[in-house]
Amino acid sequence: MSTTDRTLSSAEYDLSRAVHPNRLIGLWRLSAGFRWPYLAATLSLALSATGRAAASLSLRYLVDTVLAESRFGVELARVVLAFFGAALLEAAFSYFSGIWAAHTGEGVARRLRNYLYDHIQRLSFAYHDHAQTGDLIERCSSDVDSVRRLYADQAIGIGRIVSLFIINMAALLRLNVPLAWLASAVLAPLFAVSVFFFRRVSSAYQAYQAQEARLSTVLQENLTGVRVVRAFARQDYEREKFDRENWAKFQRGRRLWTMHALYWPLSDALCGLQMLLCVWIGALRVVDGTITPGAYVAYSALVIGLVWPMRNLGRLIVNMSTGLVSYDRVREIMQQPREPLLEGDVAPSGPLRGALVFDDVSFHYQSGHEAISNVSFECAPSQTIALLGSTGSGKTTLANLLPRFHDYDSGHVLLDGVELKRYPRRYLRQQIGIVEQEPFLFSRTIRENITYGAGRPVTMEEVEAAARTAAIDHEIRCFPNGYETMLGERGITLSGGQKQRVAVARTLLKNPRILILDDSTSSVDAETEALIRSALDRLLVGRTTFIIAHRVQSLMNADLILVFDRGRVVQRGTHAELMTQPGPYRQIYDLQVRIESELEQELRFVRGSTSD
Amino acid sequence: MIDTELDEELKRSSASGRTLLRIFAQAIPHSRTVTGMVVAVAVVSILDSYYSMIRREILDQYIAAGNHAVLAPAMWRYGATILVQAVGVLAFIYLVGVLGERIQYDLRRRMFDHLQELSFSYYDRTAVGWLMARVTSDTERISQLVTWGLLDVAWGVVNIATSLTFMAIINWRLALVVVAVLPLLFLVAIRFSELILAEFRRVRRFNSMITASYNENITGVRVVKALCREDANLLEFAHLTGQMHDSSYQAARLSALFLPAVQVISALAAAAVIALSGWQTRVAGLTIGDMQAFMHLIGSMLWPVQDLARVYAEMQHAVASAERVFSLIDSPPEVHDLDGASDPGTIRGDVDFEQVGFYYDANKPVLSDFTLHVRAGETIALVGPTGGGKSTIVNLLCRFYEPRRGTIRFNGRDYTELSLHAIQSRLGVVLQTPHLFSGTLRENIRYGRLSATDEEVESAATTVGADEFIRKMDKGYDSPVGEGGQLLSVGQKQLISLARAILAQPELLIMDEATSSVDTLTEALIQKGMETLLRGRTSFVVAHRLSTIKRADRILFIDGGRIVEEGNHAELLRQRGRYYHLYTQQFRRELERERDELGTGALASEAPLQD
Repeated sequence: MSTTDRTLSSAEYDLSRAVHPNRLIGLWRLSAGFRWPYLAATLSLALSATGRAAASLSLRYLVDTVLAESRFGVELARVVLAFFGAALLEAAFSYFSGIWAAHTGEGVARRLRNYLYDHIQRLSFAYHDHAQTGDLIERCSSDVDSVRRLYADQAIGIGRIVSLFIINMAALLRLNVPLAWLASAVLAPLFAVSVFFFRRVSSAYQAYQAQEARLSTVLQENLTGVRVVRAFARQDYEREKFDRENWAKFQRGRRLWTMHALYWPLSDALCGLQMLLCVWIGALRVVDGTITPGAYVAYSALVIGLVWPMRNLGRLIVNMSTGLVSYDRVREIMQQPREPLLEGDVAPSGPLRGALVFDDVSFHYQSGHEAISNVSFECAPSQTIALLGSTGSGKTTLANLLPRFHDYDSGHVLLDGVELKRYPRRYLRQQIGIVEQEPFLFSRTIRENITYGAGRPVTMEEVEAAARTAAIDHEIRCFPNGYETMLGERGITLSGGQKQRVAVARTLLKNPRILILDDSTSSVDAETEALIRSALDRLLVGRTTFIIAHRVQSLMNADLILVFDRGRVVQRGTHAELMTQPGPYRQIYDLQVRIESELEQELRFVRGSTSD
Repeated sequence: MIDTELDEELKRSSASGRTLLRIFAQAIPHSRTVTGMVVAVAVVSILDSYYSMIRREILDQYIAAGNHAVLAPAMWRYGATILVQAVGVLAFIYLVGVLGERIQYDLRRRMFDHLQELSFSYYDRTAVGWLMARVTSDTERISQLVTWGLLDVAWGVVNIATSLTFMAIINWRLALVVVAVLPLLFLVAIRFSELILAEFRRVRRFNSMITASYNENITGVRVVKALCREDANLLEFAHLTGQMHDSSYQAARLSALFLPAVQVISALAAAAVIALSGWQTRVAGLTIGDMQAFMHLIGSMLWPVQDLARVYAEMQHAVASAERVFSLIDSPPEVHDLDGASDPGTIRGDVDFEQVGFYYDANKPVLSDFTLHVRAGETIALVGPTGGGKSTIVNLLCRFYEPRRGTIRFNGRDYTELSLHAIQSRLGVVLQTPHLFSGTLRENIRYGRLSATDEEVESAATTVGADEFIRKMDKGYDSPVGEGGQLLSVGQKQLISLARAILAQPELLIMDEATSSVDTLTEALIQKGMETLLRGRTSFVVAHRLSTIKRADRILFIDGGRIVEEGNHAELLRQRGRYYHLYTQQFRRELERERDELGTGALASEAPLQD
């Protein structure tokens, strides 16, 4: 529970403020609430570097005062203490810097993950219609991780290099100014070499990764298509294909390592030359009396602390640029506007009655093509409206307007006498239940799936009662773990018919006033079909219901049938009314009847041929 | 899946010696590279300590003793050392990198080759994702151990040994102080490495849970919105990210503690050396140069200790990876060519099932005493409920599996006497869900017969009516189909798989008809394509469409692993049994679908004509 509490308090900062065209400003804002830990981490690094420099300087005292003058009493003890104290200081602050850096990086990452999760589930349908799941997940996982490393590793890494440079440089300047400048001679060429090579290393790495992806594709297609491979006896062909990509990966790997193999010795040699220069000139200066032997000892220790960290600068810069690209990719999601769930100026305290008036309603998709045009009809509470028409004729689009998944462009929809757009989306969605043809269930237990939309604590009795009404109770009990059976990847897969009935149970517990259901039962046997039909029939009692109809039974019982064609209502009325007039409805009905008679005919033909 | 893998690794407490040997055996074919790498890294490591010795010489001989002749040669040696070391670094990075890639290449190749031989029974019980992980991430871990692991050990051991040797040369008593501290250093380092690795495993597990959570919430976003679950979901997710945060933080904290802890211990050794320096100066004539070299050598011993500890901790994971990889390579293919298997040149002729029995699980027989005689050129439609045994018959025919009892004969010969290649190269198989490979349309059709000319490919496409849609595409036959054929519609994929089968000029055709509905026009093309394919060939069709069923010479209604009804369409209808029931149901459904598809649009426009 404590975790949750902390999370909610950290969620107070609205990350939408961190969306800024300037990446650095955006990243700065993203770090709100974690700037002190970051500062502490950087300062700790500086203190840790100071500790190391102090240890080096204590060696000078050891050489000049203790060893040179052979004063092995109090002076020596002082050096030992100073040396060890400095080492402890270095160690302690290196630890503090590590944990504060982690605090910053992990804290920012957690807040960003939560924000993205929430943001995505609140984006509009218009966004989700075109969103690619794989890409979104990639951005939320690996790109967020790159951003995390930007804070935890790279920002601190820059801080580390800068503070090490400043501290060691300060210590060097205290020793001897010309020698200090001499110690930094290598920095410019080292920096240039680092940047030059690391650009190439990272492009070689990208090429390597791209080849890895190609190799995976070949492998995966081979494994999933194993039947095709074997059926055509194409093993050798597949081996060659795989070997080509495999060898290409080897070659790109070799190229990548060649780059590394060139870069590291080169930068090592540069650093080595710097050391050589310092040892040489330093030694000359001791001999000509410019510095003491102790200063010389301290000098060589400090030069090591100054030069070697710079080697990592190239890698840091390249990683930083990938981190910035990742931030861009995350920002693209954060920029999308959310769907306001609570916006609306009417807030009824009780449930809806379910009286609906559609008055000349039209709606276009963003792509521009018209989905429904000039639809008008009325219905009273608890009535059943059947929507009939071919795929793409506008039935589903009309149903999606009710929970405000999309907002209509023109006309009016009055729900209980109030304009639909004045209701908050959340309120509407609480009042409306949807049962799809192939419902989406979650990787949870069956019980959790049934209670998923209830929005309140539900007793086991209620769950079972809902399952019984939905005619799925018996089947659930047949699973080894009953209601606690896991669904999805880590559990079992339900058949289409079972899924649909679990969704009916889920909707029963939600107890909506308006119901939208797709009554298609295409892929089930006759017995299951009867079960689903009875479950659906029980569900729609006492609710205003929109049925996207496929069965004649739904049509016959409907209070109003709307026949759609290309977004328009071309016929309306009850079954009895529509049967009296010529038009598409009667065509469809006649076809249904004809099916039976044709079948009859064929059987008669077969019987006839028997008598031959 | 990741979970069970992690648990598996957690249980494994000690690295198995034999697996470890076999891991390092991977490097044997490249023993020269390995030798070069070890030599290079040893040179680099020894020279690392040698710098300290040169600096000591300068301090003692040149600065303290004023021997001016020493400086220039020392500097030359220093420069030469830099150069040699740079060459050494270049050599070992290159060698270790290339060796690692090469070992991965070898392992991947061996696994892939073996996967081409493994039987379907293996594929049935193994998830594709599991196999993918073996070929990708496990090979990487194994090669890491053989290359960088080995390198780190070589470097670490040589480095510590040379450091200690140089220290002993300078002053053996002070060196003993360092030797005394070493075990403590190792103990602490190994304990930390293990703790950190265990924590990172937990991080990995939370991370996969977070990804799964994202995935589900995005794919199910419509339901989430419709059921107003946003707040509850965020709360659950925040709990998960909270755990992830705590675990990652813990891992980072341990890592942050690791280096300082090792540093403090070595600083303790250094402080002890300083404290004893006075005594040693008097007793053994310890010089300033000696002290500087000593300090530097102690400081540089930190890194090998850290690396050795890390390699030790990671070793058990590499062993776990290796055991999985080796188990894959070692598992024998159940279906394979018998000794003396031959290729008769053709498999045309009658097909016989003689009292064939088969099961996947010994307790659940799928086929028992199944006997069937099929004349050359006959088309057999297999119908019946799911799980009744139709797919098994098909799998046995393709010799994806072999009968547990009884015999299958092609043209009178027991088919296990023939080579797998002799059978499978003459089959035409059309699967229910067509599987295409990334590449162009042309490549996918040509998969049926690799030697086919462009004209033959195009004529095969024309035969099944795919030519028209192909030519309409931007690059015609050279248009890419995308990963798994995702750029094509379901119907188009079916057409391509038909063209592929036609091009193969199969002697025996096996077809599992698709159940997914496609648009009317494509459906008509598919029907026509199938007709061409079936004509004059011995064919087995797992049939779902009435037109296909009616066209068959013989219909077998299969259920419970037996032939329940057998005959042609009219005969079976007259029996008024299972087939009759299936047929009437299917008949209604097909016409209803037709009605739905025609929809009101088509009917509305036709209405005036009909009335």
